[in-house]
Amino acid sequence: MLLEVKNLTKVYEDGTKALTNVSFTLDEGEFVVLLGLSGSGKSTLLRCINRLVEPTSGQVILNGKDLTAAGGAELRYMRRDIGMVFQHFNLVRRSSVLRNTLSGRLGYNSTLRSILGIWSQADQQRAFQNLERVGLLNKAFNRADELSGGQQQRVGIARALMQEPRLVLADEPVASLDPVLSHSILKYLEDLNKEGIAVLCSLHIPSLARRYATRVLALNNGYLMFDGKPEELDNAKFKEIYGQDAESLEE
Amino acid sequence: MAKDKDTDKKRVLKPERLDRTPLQISVNLILIALFLLTYTYGWRVTEIDISKLLSPPDGLKGLVSDLFHPDIISRDAKTYRVYRTYLIPCDPTRERAGEVGEGVTLSPDCGNIGDIVTIAGEGLRPNTDGTIAWRTQQGGTKILAQFKTDENGSFSFTTRVPEAPPGQTKGQHGAEVILHWEEGSLQLSETARQVLDKMLETIFLALMATTLGVVLAVPVSFLAARNVMGTTRVGMIIYFLVRLFLNILRSVETLIWALIFIVWVGIGPFAGVLALTLHSIAALGKLYSEAVESIDPGPVEAVQATGANRIQTVVYAILPQVLPPFLAFTIYRWDINVRMSTVIGLVGGGGIGFLLIQWINLIQYRQAATAVWAIVIVVAAMDYFSAWIREKLI
Repeated sequence: MLLEVKNLTKVYEDGTKALTNVSFTLDEGEFVVLLGLSGSGKSTLLRCINRLVEPTSGQVILNGKDLTAAGGAELRYMRRDIGMVFQHFNLVRRSSVLRNTLSGRLGYNSTLRSILGIWSQADQQRAFQNLERVGLLNKAFNRADELSGGQQQRVGIARALMQEPRLVLADEPVASLDPVLSHSILKYLEDLNKEGIAVLCSLHIPSLARRYATRVLALNNGYLMFDGKPEELDNAKFKEIYGQDAESLEE
Repeated sequence: MAKDKDTDKKRVLKPERLDRTPLQISVNLILIALFLLTYTYGWRVTEIDISKLLSPPDGLKGLVSDLFHPDIISRDAKTYRVYRTYLIPCDPTRERAGEVGEGVTLSPDCGNIGDIVTIAGEGLRPNTDGTIAWRTQQGGTKILAQFKTDENGSFSFTTRVPEAPPGQTKGQHGAEVILHWEEGSLQLSETARQVLDKMLETIFLALMATTLGVVLAVPVSFLAARNVMGTTRVGMIIYFLVRLFLNILRSVETLIWALIFIVWVGIGPFAGVLALTLHSIAALGKLYSEAVESIDPGPVEAVQATGANRIQTVVYAILPQVLPPFLAFTIYRWDINVRMSTVIGLVGGGGIGFLLIQWINLIQYRQAATAVWAIVIVVAAMDYFSAWIREKLI
């Protein structure tokens, strides 16, 4: 078992209950899609797993180690195993593609070396390999904001791969892209999943979930409503997750 | 006709004016009274007197004239000195000592106090101003006359041998003729040279203060940014302390800091550098920290998620985003510092202001005008230069 989330609860300072008692496990090699409406707590859940958002209570256990109890240096050490891909790519727009990619390796490098911009040959090689993998080797020295949305997201994936992660969290990775680009991005995630990296990916389009997921989790208003195979996600379940007013677009 | 109809419609559509209650009216009256009171008092307390403005004193004309005739250029000052001896009484055997120069004769060249003597020159520099002085044996000097040589370089002056102090009447007296003129190409006057020297000091004063200010304000600004420090309780405490510190620094004007540092490190440009640095830290720290607070939090989140520590996050996710605004604020501050460094000398903080206040106090307005013009030119040039840099870099 790679990841275990136990009774995770998050209440924001303004009293918003984003997550209530969410528990699930995630094994190596799984491609888990997290479904739910906007505001259902998907982003909060993903950010609680690597503690970009501090959970109010509950535990996140990665590789048998309690991540929620880890202190500063230990937490950073554990974060290296968790890559993250974001809806808005979160690249530094003014920095080069290469520098954005290399920043995925910061957790492995000393502060002084990284401040001075000294990267080992191995890290540079790794960066070029990962850029080649997402088909952007020729853009390595371009500024990140010169790239299209789809290209920027691929840089985001290359940055996550730099960590040599065991788990990749993807927060709506295709939501701000042209729908026709969705598959191109999700295919990269699928590829790295086949290499043994577990993926936890939030989406809001059920058809994409059925296409890529080995398992589906669904959140509604902070509660985990569904945990099962994508085939089990029938119309009744769908209405349970999204509410009675929702209609699936594709069916 | 159609137009009339339109206006009619507008009049109908206009909402009726609401009747005002007595309370509203009295509140308005009080506000008007307060307004009048404020400005009446302000007028009196600042001693505004238009009549003074309209009848300037006579001195103003000279000042304005001096302002437009700054002391900038001059020629080399040259002098030519001739010394001829006069013996009292006549004694052909006596040695004459210390004669220098050519072209001036005394006739006669010996005699007594009160005798007539003619001092004549020929073959000297034509059309040149000169002075004639009488020297007694012990070196006492009395100016006899000012003169100007004619176009042939001649002059002649007849006088009586002047009285000498008791005990100095006998011995070797003499006439000293000094010609003085300006020659050669135009060159910078002594004033202009002093101004240039101090102006250079002023510019470097601004440079040092801006550089030191920037170097210190950058780290401080991250400590004063909520999005960097707000993640932990300790961070929040540091944030508030640094903010408080910056506010206190900023509320004290540069000239007052200069006065403090003059006591501390003595009069001179170092005190000025310290004062300007301190104020730069305060002002830039605030501006920088606001730039840090307005960055896109996305990249910060992404870099944190990779396992980067706080310093790495700042360098990789925040610095690239804040560099353009930092640069803009720095150039803006450089502008201010150049301007401030020209006046910080007024209180003894080094730079051109020191000369300026000195000349003003000595009523040497032409010299002061040189300094003022230098300041105008340098500040304008720096403004232009920084605008150019801003255009190139940002």
